[in-house]
Amino acid sequence: MSQVARNISIIGSGPSGLYTAYHLVKKANTIKVPINIKIWEKNPVPFGLSRYGVAPDHPEVKNCEDTFTTMFREYEELSAGFCKSLQFIGNTIVGQPSMSSATNPFENHVALKSLMQTEDVVVLSYGCNGDRRLNIPHEEECSSVFTSRQFVNWYNGQFDVALSDKFMKFDWSKVRKVGIIGNGNVALDVARLLISNQVKELWGVSDISTVALEQLNKAPIESVKIIGRRDFSHSKFTNKEYRELWELEKYGIFGNIISTEFDTLVKDIKAPSNDRVMMRRLEMSKEYLLPFDQRSKKNYKKVRPPIERAESKKHWEFDYLLSPVGINMHPGTKDLKSVTFAQNVMQKDGSLVQSDSTVTTDFDLLITSLGYKGEPLEEFGELGIQFDRSHVKNIDGRVLSNSDVPIPGLYTSGWINNGGQGVIANTMQGAFQVADRILEDMAAKPIHKKSTSNAELNTQLPNQTTWADWEEINKKELQKGKAQGKNRSKYITVDSVMNVLKTN
Amino acid sequence: MLLRNIARVSVNSAKYTALRSTAPVTMARLLAQRVPATRMFSVVTPLRHGHLKTPAPGEELKITFIEKDGNQKTFDVCEGETLLDIAQGHNLDMEGACGGSCACSTCHVIVDPDYYDAIPEPEDDENDMLDLAYGLTETSRLGCQVKMNKDIDGIRVALPQMTRNVSSKDL
Repeated sequence: MSQVARNISIIGSGPSGLYTAYHLVKKANTIKVPINIKIWEKNPVPFGLSRYGVAPDHPEVKNCEDTFTTMFREYEELSAGFCKSLQFIGNTIVGQPSMSSATNPFENHVALKSLMQTEDVVVLSYGCNGDRRLNIPHEEECSSVFTSRQFVNWYNGQFDVALSDKFMKFDWSKVRKVGIIGNGNVALDVARLLISNQVKELWGVSDISTVALEQLNKAPIESVKIIGRRDFSHSKFTNKEYRELWELEKYGIFGNIISTEFDTLVKDIKAPSNDRVMMRRLEMSKEYLLPFDQRSKKNYKKVRPPIERAESKKHWEFDYLLSPVGINMHPGTKDLKSVTFAQNVMQKDGSLVQSDSTVTTDFDLLITSLGYKGEPLEEFGELGIQFDRSHVKNIDGRVLSNSDVPIPGLYTSGWINNGGQGVIANTMQGAFQVADRILEDMAAKPIHKKSTSNAELNTQLPNQTTWADWEEINKKELQKGKAQGKNRSKYITVDSVMNVLKTN
Repeated sequence: MLLRNIARVSVNSAKYTALRSTAPVTMARLLAQRVPATRMFSVVTPLRHGHLKTPAPGEELKITFIEKDGNQKTFDVCEGETLLDIAQGHNLDMEGACGGSCACSTCHVIVDPDYYDAIPEPEDDENDMLDLAYGLTETSRLGCQVKMNKDIDGIRVALPQMTRNVSSKDL
C-alpha cells in the first residue's frame, strides 16, 4: 500500500451519495488504492430523500440508513484498511445552488471550484431540488396549489419548509376534495396520506412531522382524484403503492378507476399483450372492485372492510386523459375553486392529442406531482460543466464538459445524474456502477497531481456537523419518538439541532 | 459462455414477454451446466460470518451461488437461514437495501428451475418487488424471502447482472 491516498469528495448524503461512498469503501481493496472520503451535506443531518422523501408509513424503505451507519462506523474493516478516513461534513453547501435555503443560518459555503482543484475525485450526488410545473396561469399564485416535493418535504419535517406559512397557515379544515396531477409513486404516497389522514394507526406511530400531522388531521377529506395525462396503461405508479391504496378499504376507504381503456383491458387480463406487471395490476384492480365475498383469491380477502363501499364517505379514484389548462379561484381570494381540464385522445400510434372539449372539477386543494427537477449549481457555467434539461450531462457517470468531453475526476450519481428517476434500489445500482467507473479510472491513471499538490482544503468550518453529531441527534430523535409512541420524532429546525449539539 | 448467458438474460430485462419464453431455457442451461474440471471451484473461507449459525454435523444443507463473474461458491448452511443472510454472511455481492424486509428488489436471485417449485410461492409483496427487478426471469425470487430447508438442499441460484437499460436520456 505504498500509493498516496486519493481524496474523494461526494456532494450530497442522500442514498446516491452514500451508496457511491459505500461501493468505494467496499471495493477500494480491489484496486489497492487507499482513499479518503468526504461527504458534504447542506443540512446538518444526513440521508437526503431517505429522510425527507420516503413516505412515513414506509419505514422499511429507510433501512438503507442502517447500511450507511454501518459504513461510517466500520469503514476501516469494510475496506480492509484501504479507506483511511470517511468524513461527514454537514451544514455545508458546495457550489451555491440556484435555490439557496433561507432557513439555515449556520450554513457554510465551499466553492465547487476549490473542491475540483484540491480533490482527486468529486462526485455530484446532490439530487433534484426543483419541481416540474404545469406552467398554467395561477399555478404559483393560488394558495391551495402545492407541488408534491414541497408538500412531502413539509410533512417529512424538512428544515426549509417544515414551518412554512404556506402549509401551517393554510386552512386545512376546508379541504374536502383533493386533486393530484400525476400518477407516479409520489402522487400515490400523497393520495394515501390525504385520504387516510385521520387514521391514527397509520400516521400517529410514524416519523411524520408532528406539527404537519396536526394540521392534516383537521382536513375532512372525502375524495382524492389522481389525474393522468395519458391512459391507464401509461400509469407511472408501481404495484406496491397501488396495492396500498386498495388495502385502505380496511379503514372504510374505497377506490375507483375511470378509464374506458381499463374497462377493456380488465376483460382479458391474460392477453399476451399484457406483461407481468400489467397482468398483476389488472387482476388486483378487478378483485378489489368486487364486493369482498365475491373475490376469487384469498390474498384479496385479508381484512373485511368495516363498511360497504356504498356506505363509505371516503374515496380515491384514478382519472385519465386529462390535462389541466386552468386554475380557477374563488372570486376575490387566492383559494382554489376548481380546475379546468382539456380532454385528451390517445392516437393509435401512442401519441396524445389534446381536444377542444374541457371539463371543470371542483377542488379545495391541488397537488401537482409531475416529478422532481434537477437544478444546476451556479458555478457550472464558469467551470464548463454541461447541464442538460434536468440533469448533469454524463456518460456512465463521467461528467461531460460543454464540448462533450469527460472532465477528469468529475462524476455524478443518483437523481442529478438521471434527472430524477427510479426508487432507492435503482439509485443504489446506478451509484455502484458510477463507483466502479471511478475505481477503474483511479486504477488506470497515475496518481493525480492533486494528491501531491500543496493546495489545502479547509474542512474545519464553523458550525459544521460531523457523523458523531448525527449519531447524537439520531439517539435523541429516537428517544423523543419512543416517548411519543412514534418510531422517531424529527427535529424540524436547524436551530433545534444546533441547540442539542451545543448543550452536549 | 456462462458469463455471456447471464449477460444476455439481463440485457433483455425490460422485455418480460420475450423472457417468458426464452429465459427458463437459458437459465436452465446455465444453471445445469456442470463445472469444467479446469475451472476453479472454490469453497470459500468467509471473512465475516455475520450472524450465520454453524450447522450441526450431519445437519448441513448445501447451497451454491453463481456469482456475476460466473464463479460458483458452495456453502454448508443451517435450516432457516435466508439466501440474503447466507450471501451477506459470506461476503457475496448481494445487497439488501431494505434490510431484508421485502421492500426493494436488490437481493434478486435466479433459482435453478429444478428447485424453484420446491420453494413456497411468493406472496404479493414479494411479487410487487420482483416487478421492479432487473433481469427478471420465471424463476426469480428475492433472497430475503427464501429460507433454507431440507426440500431445497443443494439449491443453486445465480446472482443477476446489474444491467441498466441505457436510453438516450443517459447521454
